[in-house]
Parts: sequence; C-alpha cells; structure tokens
Amino acid sequence: MRMAALGVALTALLSHYRRHPGQLAMLLLGLWVASALWSGVQAINASARDSYARAESLFSAQLDRIERRDGQPVGLDAYLDLRLTGQPVSPVLEGRITLSDGSRLDVTGIDPLTLPLDSGFRTAGGDQSLTQFLQPPYLTRVAPETHARLWPSDESTPTADNGTPLPPPQVASELPPDLLIMDIAAAQALLGRSGPSHLLVAPDTEVALPEGLRRTQAVNLAAPGQLTDSFHLNLTAMGLLALVVGLLIVHAALSLTLEQRLGLLRTLRALGVSGRALVGLLVGELLLLGLLGGGLGLLSGVWLAKWLLPDVAASLDALYDARVGQALALPGYYWLGGLAVTFGGVITAGFGTLWRAARLDVLSLGRAQAWRGQFQRQLKRMAIAGTLAWLVALGLWGWLSQLPPAEGLALGFTMIAALLLGSALWLPPLLACVASGVERALRHRPLAQWASADLQLQLPRLSVAMMALLLALSANLGVGSMVGGFRLTFLDWLDQRLVADVYLSVPDRDTGEDLAEWLVAQPEVAALLPRSRAETTLNAAKGQIPSREVAVYGITPHPSLTAHWPLKAQLDTPETAWDAFTAGDALINEQLALASGLAPGDRLELASPTGPIERRIAAVYPDYGNPRGEVTLTQADVSQRFRTAPDSFGIILAEGSAATGVDTLRERINQRFGLGRDSVIDQRDLKTQATTLFERTFAITRALTVLTLGVAGLALLTSLLAQTAQRRAQLAPLWAIGVARRPLVATGLFQLGGAACVTALLAVPLGIALAGCLVAIINVAAFGWRLPLHVFPGQIAATLGLALGAALLAALWPAWRLWRTSPRELLTEFDTQ
Amino acid sequence: MTSTFRRLRWLALGAGLLLLIALATWQLAPPPHERSSESFAGLGEAAGDYAQARPGTPLAFPADHGPHPDYRIEWWYLTANLEDEAGTPLGIQWTLFRQALAPPGARSDEPTDAPWASRQLWMAHAALSTPQQHLVGERFARGMSLPERRAQAGVTVSPFTAWLDHWQLESLAGESEDAFDHLRVSAQAEDAGQSFGYRLELEAEGPLVRHGDDGFSQKSADGQGSLYYSQPFFQVSGEIEIDGETRPVTGQAWLDREWSSQLLGANQHGWDWFSLHLDDGTKLMAFRLRGGGQSSDDPSGHYVSGSWITPEGELTALDGDMLHLEPLERREVAGRQVPTRWQLTVPERGLDIEVTARQAERWMDTAFPYWEGDVSVTGSHPGQGYLEMTGY
Repeated sequence: MRMAALGVALTALLSHYRRHPGQLAMLLLGLWVASALWSGVQAINASARDSYARAESLFSAQLDRIERRDGQPVGLDAYLDLRLTGQPVSPVLEGRITLSDGSRLDVTGIDPLTLPLDSGFRTAGGDQSLTQFLQPPYLTRVAPETHARLWPSDESTPTADNGTPLPPPQVASELPPDLLIMDIAAAQALLGRSGPSHLLVAPDTEVALPEGLRRTQAVNLAAPGQLTDSFHLNLTAMGLLALVVGLLIVHAALSLTLEQRLGLLRTLRALGVSGRALVGLLVGELLLLGLLGGGLGLLSGVWLAKWLLPDVAASLDALYDARVGQALALPGYYWLGGLAVTFGGVITAGFGTLWRAARLDVLSLGRAQAWRGQFQRQLKRMAIAGTLAWLVALGLWGWLSQLPPAEGLALGFTMIAALLLGSALWLPPLLACVASGVERALRHRPLAQWASADLQLQLPRLSVAMMALLLALSANLGVGSMVGGFRLTFLDWLDQRLVADVYLSVPDRDTGEDLAEWLVAQPEVAALLPRSRAETTLNAAKGQIPSREVAVYGITPHPSLTAHWPLKAQLDTPETAWDAFTAGDALINEQLALASGLAPGDRLELASPTGPIERRIAAVYPDYGNPRGEVTLTQADVSQRFRTAPDSFGIILAEGSAATGVDTLRERINQRFGLGRDSVIDQRDLKTQATTLFERTFAITRALTVLTLGVAGLALLTSLLAQTAQRRAQLAPLWAIGVARRPLVATGLFQLGGAACVTALLAVPLGIALAGCLVAIINVAAFGWRLPLHVFPGQIAATLGLALGAALLAALWPAWRLWRTSPRELLTEFDTQ
Repeated sequence: MTSTFRRLRWLALGAGLLLLIALATWQLAPPPHERSSESFAGLGEAAGDYAQARPGTPLAFPADHGPHPDYRIEWWYLTANLEDEAGTPLGIQWTLFRQALAPPGARSDEPTDAPWASRQLWMAHAALSTPQQHLVGERFARGMSLPERRAQAGVTVSPFTAWLDHWQLESLAGESEDAFDHLRVSAQAEDAGQSFGYRLELEAEGPLVRHGDDGFSQKSADGQGSLYYSQPFFQVSGEIEIDGETRPVTGQAWLDREWSSQLLGANQHGWDWFSLHLDDGTKLMAFRLRGGGQSSDDPSGHYVSGSWITPEGELTALDGDMLHLEPLERREVAGRQVPTRWQLTVPERGLDIEVTARQAERWMDTAFPYWEGDVSVTGSHPGQGYLEMTGY
C-alpha cells in the first residue's frame, strides 16, 4: 500500500480522538501518571546509585582500614611508630563539621604523600597541583552538587561553626556528595583534632600491627550499595505498583477506543487496508501515544524525584550512613529506560486491542459490542488465572518459609505481586457473582433488579478500574498498617532502650576516668552506666555459620536498665536471661540472630586481642535501624577482653532532678571538662531525632501510596466518563417508560457505590495479608528485624471511606451530566438506534 | 629576566619532583620530550624569597650536615659500588631529598599544635642494582614539627641522623670525629612484589671535600649555583638482601650534600653527572648541564664543570675548558634514547677514559623518572663509579 493511503488511514483512525478528546486525555493521563511515578522512583534510585558508585570508587573504599579496637582515634604516635618501622600506612582524619548555616558535612583529611599510589584518590580528579593541596590556604575537593550549594558564587566562603573558613573549593565530579576532602592539616584545623582517626593501607600489603589495632579488609567494609539494596528494592516495588495501576487505566481506555472504532476499522478493511497494515497503524498510534505520555511522565517523574529526594537522602544517610546527593544525577539509561518501560507498558496494555483488531471479522457488522458476549468466558478465564496466581503465591510462601529469613527479598516481592495479581483477577468474577446474586435477591424491586443486571453489563469496562482501585486500596492499607505498627513498636522500643536521661561521649581514657569519678560525686546523678564498643569477628562455628564482622557492645546491667531493655527471645524469663548476662552470657541483636541462625542457648565465639572468647547466648534483642549484627556483653567484660575503655556514659538522674538536671549538668560538665557541646546528649533529643528519621523514611512510602490511590481514583473516573454516551443509550428507554431522572441518577450512584464497596471489602483482607507479608518477609529480609503485625480498624474504616468517596466522586460527574441531559437528547437516542 | 635566572646541576631530583607529581592530575609526569620547554622537575623556578647560594658562604660542620630549611632544595645523596664474595658487581643508592613548599617567613618552622602543617616535603629513593636487576623504592613524607618525638622524616645534626620512615642514614662516629667519618645506612623496600634492602657501614678514609669555590659550586655562566660538598672516600662493608636472601658485600661509596634555591635555567632541560672512583685513589666528579651554555653569550651549549680530587683530598675545580664530556653510544631505555657510554677527558691531567654503564636498564621509574646506575671506567685511569642522567 502506498504511503499516502496509509497516511489517510492513520488520519481516519486518529480522527476518532478529535471527536472524543476525553478519551485521548484519559489515555495520555494514564500513561503520564504511570510513567511519572515509575520514572520518579527510578530517578531516585539512579541518583542514589550514582552516589554509591562514587563512594565506592573513593580511595577509602578500596584500601584496608586500620582502626583501634576500642573505636577511639588511632592517634599520631601510633601512626608514626608504624611508619618508622616501615609499615606503609596512611593517616586519615575523619569527622563531621557543622557549617555556620547549620548544614552538616563529612570532612576527610588525607595525606596524599603516604596514600598508596594505585588508590582511587588519583582518579578523584582535580587539576591543581599537590603544592596547593598541601599548603595554606589548602584546597577542598568537593562533588559538583556540593560545590554549587556551598559556593554559590566565587566570593562565598563557607565557614565552620568554630569560625574556621573552608579551604577554597576544587570540583571533583568523582566524589560523592556532601564530602569534603582536604589535606590532613586543613582537616585538623577544621575539626580541632590532631591525630588520625584511622589509617589506610593497600590491600595486598602486609602490616605488622600492635595489639590495640585491627585491620578491616576493603572487601569487608560495608559498601553503601549493598546495605541500601533493600531500601531501593522497596522503592522500586512501589514504583512498579504505580506503573501497573496506571497501565490498567491505559488498558481500559484503549479497549474503549477500539470498541468505538470497530465500525471504522471494518470500513477501512472493506476499503482495502490490509489487516497487517491496520495492526501496524494501531501500533504506530500506540507508540505515538507512548512517546507523548511517556515523555510527559519522564519530565514529571524528575520533578517528583526532586520533591522526594531530600527525604530519601536524609533517610539513607541516617539509616545506612550512605551519602546521597540532593541533586538528581540522571544517566542516559534513565531516560531511555523510562521510555522503554512506557512503550512496553503501552504495548502490553494494548495487546488485547491489537489482537482483536488483527482478528477482526469484516462481515460481522451486526455485533458492534462484540466483546460483551465473550465476557462470561473471560470471567471464567480470569477466575482460573487468579486461582493460579494465588497458588503461585502460596507456593512461594511455602518456599520462603524454608529459606533463611534474610534471603527472601526478591522472592517476597514476587509473592506479593502474585497475591495482588490473583486477587485483582478474582475481582471481576466476584463482582459479577455479587451483582447476579443481588439481581436474584431483588426480584420484586424492578428498578433495583434492573440496576444489578445493568451493572453486570457495565462490568467488562468497570472491572479494570475496579481492579486498579483494589490494588491501590490494599497497598495503602498494607503499607499503612506496617508504618503504623512500626511507629508503635519503635516508640516503645526507644522508650525502653534509652533508659538513661543523659548520654555523654568520652574523648579518651583519662578523661573518661576523671569524668566517672566526678560524675558519681554529683548529687543529681543516681547511677552511671558506662558503655564500650569494639569491632571484632564472629568466628565460624563448626560448619554452622560463616565468619562475619560484628560490633561488640558493652553495657552495664544496672537494674534501671535491665528492667526496661527489651528482649525478644530468651531461654526462660527475661529475669533469668539478665542474670545469665550479668554472669557472663552474651546477648545478640535480631539482625545477627536472623542472619546467622543463632538462637538463645547456642554458643558463639568471638575473636579478641586476648584470644578467642566463647559465650553462651542468653537472649536476642530488637535493634531497629541498625544495619549490622551486634553482640552485647557486659561493659566490664568488653573492657577486659577487648582492652577498651568506656566510650560513653549513660547517666540516670536522681528522682526530681530530671527536668532541670540535664541542662545544669551539661553546663557543669562543659565548664569542668571542656567537652564539645555534642558530647552531652539529652535523651529527649535523641528520641526526637530517631523518631524524625523514621517518620521521614516512611513519609516517602506513604507519599507513594497516596499517589497510587489518586491514580486509581482517576482510573475510575476516566472509565466512567468514557462510557457516558453509551450509558445514555441504555438509560433512555428507562426514562421513556417513566422512570424520572432523579432515581436514574441515584441508581447510577448506587451501582458504582456498591461495586466500590465490594472492592473495598475485598481490599481489607488483602491489605492485611499484604501488611503481614511486609512485616514478616520483606522487612526481615530488607532490614533484618521483624515487627509484630498491627491492624488499625480506624485506618481501615478511613480507607474504605476514601474508596467509597473516590468512587462516588468519580460517579458524580457522569451523574451530573445525566441530570443535565435534556429530554430531547434522550429522545434522539431512539432516533439513532 | 634572563640574567637573574639560573640553572643548576644534576642532583636535584628531589626537589621539584614532588611539585610535578602533583602535576595537574596526580598522574605521572608526561615524558620529558613532551615538555621540552620546561626544565627537569621544575628546577628552573626563581629563588624568590628563599635564601640564595652565594660564593663566600662559609661551610661549617657539623651544622651543615643538617638541613637548611630556608633554601628551596637539599639532598643527602649516597651511592656505592659494591661486590659480593663471588665478585659480582653490585650498586646501591640511598637518597633523601628535602623540598620547601613555601619560602621562609611564610610559615613557622617552630613546633605548633598543628603537627601536620609544614612547609617541608621529604622524598627518599632507595635502589639496589645487580647484573640482572634494578630494584627501586620510593617514599614520601611531610615535614612535621614535633617537639617530643621523631617525625616521619627529617635530619638531625647531633647525633647525625637522616631518615624517612625506616630508611635511615645515621652517624656512628665518635665525639672527636666528623659525623660523616663513620656512617650506617639502611633501607628496606619492595619493587614489583620483590623485597630488597641493605644495611651497610661506611668508613671514611679521607676528608670532606668542598666543590667549586670552597663549597660554592657554580652552575651557569650567570653565576647561579649551589652549596656543595662531598665525602667520596668511603670504604663499605655490610650486607644486601633480595627476597630474604642476604649476601655480605664490600666496596666504595660517595656521599654528596648539596642545597640551593635556584635550579635549572629556562633553556636547561637535564643533566649528566658522574662520580668516579679511579683505581689510583683519585676521585672525579663531573657534570654537564644540557642547554644554557658555557657563557651567557652562548645559551645553546652545555655547561660543563667538575672536581679533580687527589687521594689526599685536595680538590681542583675543573671548568669546561679543562674537562670534556662526550656521549659515545645511546641505548633505548624505557622508550628513551639514553647515552650509556661516554668519553671523559682532562688533558691537563692526562686523563682519557671511557665510562660505560654496567647495565643499560637502570631506569628509576619513580614519580619523576631518571637514569641512575653503576658504571665501569676504562682507559688511562680505570675504575668504577656512578652515573646519573635526567631529562631524557
């Protein structure tokens, strides 16, 4: 066929949208929304990955790390002693500064003269000489986005809150954001500390270390990319859900436009357009729509990502210590991938349409609404497919319960997807069933019976919108109860865990001893709970668990602590567990228990500077928000075996002095010991900070679910709008036989409200099941801790109300249109038929 | 400008190397021929506010064995021709370079509470040459002013010690002797996965010698120069080690001390420097600065100079009219054409010798690369020694 003829045919096809601009708008809207949410999430992930890649290529991630076992800074003497015996270690001074504008930044001071030459430092760019780097006023190497934020103009000189200006900037695009790299001399002035905080050494170099130092191999340093995988998978799953819901709208709209163009298609076929050419034209149309909607979606996605990114970045920083830029970094694959996903979605959503167009029977002109006859068969197929999806979900559930809990993240999401899909597929048969049941039950109420029968006729098209509503509602319920449950549990846990009124971090051993002595003598101090930390290796037990790096935490089992500190699993009662702990047993956190399979009663072996130590596990404790495995021993035990001094004190204030005691104590400690203002931490501040962090983390999830629900409401509205004209033809006879417009409108609202109610009722158990999966599988795999399942009736009621409201709101516009339809128009319906 | 600008001589490595490592991208320097307009290692920079090396500056010991922080560059440069019990010729190099990053007055040299802030950089090279191998190590450090303990690198006068990390040159001399009369040098390093090291004792059999005009060694017709003295009379004994295998060795060593603030002239792009132990006990130092000229009227030629040192330690300065240096043969080393056989003549003394590199492959692939290796001497005055060539 010639191009001109094809062009005419395409124009004829597209002319449909000129007559029905609403359908075009609905199609584009569906595509736009689906691709916006999806690409927004992907933009966040891509930016984060970019930041991680930069962090991982940084020299510090490629070199082995040498630290003191007690976590204190390594210090100048230890560094020089190593150098003078020929050990090729390089000093690093790390810390965090607060700028005078209140923003906090990481500072890494390095010594380029001793840094191993093959390390990534060289690759981290820069075009100025080493001399400038090493000499006043020094240089600050920063990522471009951080540079733009801190040095908005050439004249700006950001200043740390101790009054020291930052050295002049040098942009290095390979650096992760919010990190300032400078010479160790400059970092020392900025941070007010002199000795290195840790040392670096090339991975293949042997180093003889004194006992107090330990080396962590670069490969064992937790890479932010690995830690945060689960977080990003969660985001991706949310984005995927939004994409599916959006594509459901597209599917509904496409089915409608095809159906209304069946006559046109037949005419075109009869005029000699080949079936293949026709399908080709329809594909072209879809691609055009995909390009337009996808393009719009990508742009809005970027906007959405910009809006969400600060929260995401703050969460990742606080949860995993992973720095993510506040500015989007979008690689080329992001744009291409976004468009590809949209195209893929459009083609998938339009596949049914294309299939029917390809098999179009030129002669069957009489059955304009051809697909409705097939609906019964389609319902059966849906029921079968839905059952299959459920079976898959059930099978996965069975498999997951066999797997170690930490490994089921992707499978868990697959299971949830199967569960949701199965339920969505079951919705139309269920609705049909309910409608026909109601129809039989209301035999003696003709209008109601008609309404039920009519609803069954509407189902083929409504069902897709209802499926979207079901998915959105259950996701909303599931995520809502997970977030709500977490908040309850987490707040309790914080209360129990933060026993002391004040926490005081100790700069060094001597100050620590002086402080302890002084504090005990203070009248407002009721008890002093020293804490220590160390890093070590959990040795492999005979073939049972692999060796892993763990944190060792030393606490003081004072009654005020043991009475509250939450335990999750213990052999006997918490009291006996604490007795055993005081007598030398260990506690492990839930993350370690889940990852290693260790349980109370088992024995574990830790490497220590005084030789391997074996301990029985007395109990497991919840440790929300900690990505790492941790073993807790008594502080005295940790100090003795790991040769560390307390690094902080929990201070319990005497009755009655808690309210004013904190501030006066802080004042006096600062006066006497001159510790920085960050050393004394009020427990209340700590709680606020922790709560804010988690609120932020979940704000993202909730924002996404609310947006998804919005998409579903939109789907419903567009489906209804699309069939308004058609509905008129079916309502006209009723009107003609004497049913007034008011009951007609009310009937329509009831029909839709009823369908929405059934959908919402199905969404409740599905939402609870989803919440169950989230807390029992996804969270455990993603974060390493399990939450109790909480169900919030109030929240469920609110969601049901929201669904009903959305449905009625969506029905209102068509109802209003019907209300406004003049009798003359209704009469013309008979003319056209 | 030209008249106030200078050139300098050999040695130098130290200095600007660092500046250049720095180079823009923290990458290795591009091959010198790509930067032929620059002097080697940036040694042609103006002295600025640094102290100037001038004729008539008296040398005083032991103070001058120590560092001169007000000068831009300085080095303690030791080379030794050794042989093991089987008579295998071996060579070692031990060098400590000091480079000031800022002129005096810009920063305090006094100990402060900011130990990392310093205007001095240190660099050390250690090399061990066998007929089969050339093993090279390199280390860097910043100067640190620590009142109570040894820093990562530095030089102390009393007792004399020069060190960077565990590479060390220390005096074993008694109180009545000069610090350089009896030294011990040690280094331990790794090159391409192979460990090597040496531990040698050096016994001086002659006095310190002052080059040029009583220690002022002129480097160009413009009058620029350095302060330069040597101890060329060391007898060596000790041991070397390769991959854990030690061998006792004996031989001769030569220690150079030099400091200056003004380096190569704009037209000088490298040098060839010889320190030779002749079999009759004579020591010969000779260098050729390429480009820059013998006189200010002839900037295109080479600036040639040297010292004739009798076994008793009497030094006669040689200028370009008395001393002639000619490359006889070039070999490709590390992608460059490097002269590995030379003719040296001092007609006045009846000296006509050929100096040949024992091995061509003595390339120092350090941050700033150069050629440094042991040589054998044939002709009127046979012997052995060391040759250093830069800027190829």
